[in-house]
Amino acid sequence: MARADTNTAFARGFWILAPLWLGVIPFGLAYAVSARSAGLSLLQTQALSALVFAGSAQLSAVGLLAAGAAGIEIVLTTLLLNVRHVLYGLSLGRELRLTRRERPVAAFFLTDEAFGVVAAAGERSFPFLLGAELSLFMMWNLATLGGFLLGAAIPDPEQLGVDLIFPLAFLALVVPLVRTRAELLVALTSGALAFGLARVLPGGLPILLTGIGGSLLGAFLTCGTPADRSIHPDDAAREVA
Amino acid sequence: MSFWLTLGGMVAVTFGSRYAGLALRADLPDFWVRFLHFVPIAVFASLVTPSLEGNQSEWGIRVTAAALAAVAAWRTCQLWVAVAVGMGVFWLLRIPF
Repeated sequence: MARADTNTAFARGFWILAPLWLGVIPFGLAYAVSARSAGLSLLQTQALSALVFAGSAQLSAVGLLAAGAAGIEIVLTTLLLNVRHVLYGLSLGRELRLTRRERPVAAFFLTDEAFGVVAAAGERSFPFLLGAELSLFMMWNLATLGGFLLGAAIPDPEQLGVDLIFPLAFLALVVPLVRTRAELLVALTSGALAFGLARVLPGGLPILLTGIGGSLLGAFLTCGTPADRSIHPDDAAREVA
Repeated sequence: MSFWLTLGGMVAVTFGSRYAGLALRADLPDFWVRFLHFVPIAVFASLVTPSLEGNQSEWGIRVTAAALAAVAAWRTCQLWVAVAVGMGVFWLLRIPF
């Protein structure tokens, strides 16, 4: 019984992110094509997808490699793009009781999207998180392989407009989370702040700064109200995703 | 060789960022518990607006598609319905009349 529960939680997590494959596949293809044109071998291209598993960081790294950047510049750019995950981990760590063995696994495959569905859905379990994580990991790596082998015969994701899927998905995740005036104010302010910051700062930095700024605003706005310390706070948002 | 060294560095900073937050298990003061409650809201909102615009001067139809997707998300609370509505509207509006 427990085993069946685990399997179905994993499957629910896995399939919940399936609509995003439509966005992941063209980006994986585009990444692989860029990597190939930057002179990377198949092994190198695939190793980045399997071991780093961070789309925006991989694309920037490939661009930097093509431009002849130094290794340290690439590593620092990667850090800048991915340091927002610290916030995700802090948030997940409160929602989810993970064992010492589960933690590094959950961390290795963590993405914006996997954090998103776990934080927004009421379902907070390791198998559900892992299902969501591996759903994207599998597709990202298959698309990388396919893109490298197919080469330049790949349409540009922006041309197809499928890059719009990612903001739509996060919009769908944030809408049900907003129920109080403080939450609405934080959402609107964060959206505006990120929009402004993205014009002057690179990559993941606007997300990190907005994540900190917006959450500080929320914490200040709710001063005087007791914090909800339960593992499963609220949720009208339980049914999301 | 230098590629694999760079890759190692990328893996270290990426995994480090992903693991650091999860590994930190402290009993936080109320203020930071409330702070963490707002993290998903602030982060998701910041993942929406900058990439909504796109590079092809289609911001009008992209914002329209997003607005209808938001209504769909609000009414149904289903991720895939919101994405389907948004992309459907976007592709329809994109057809040159």
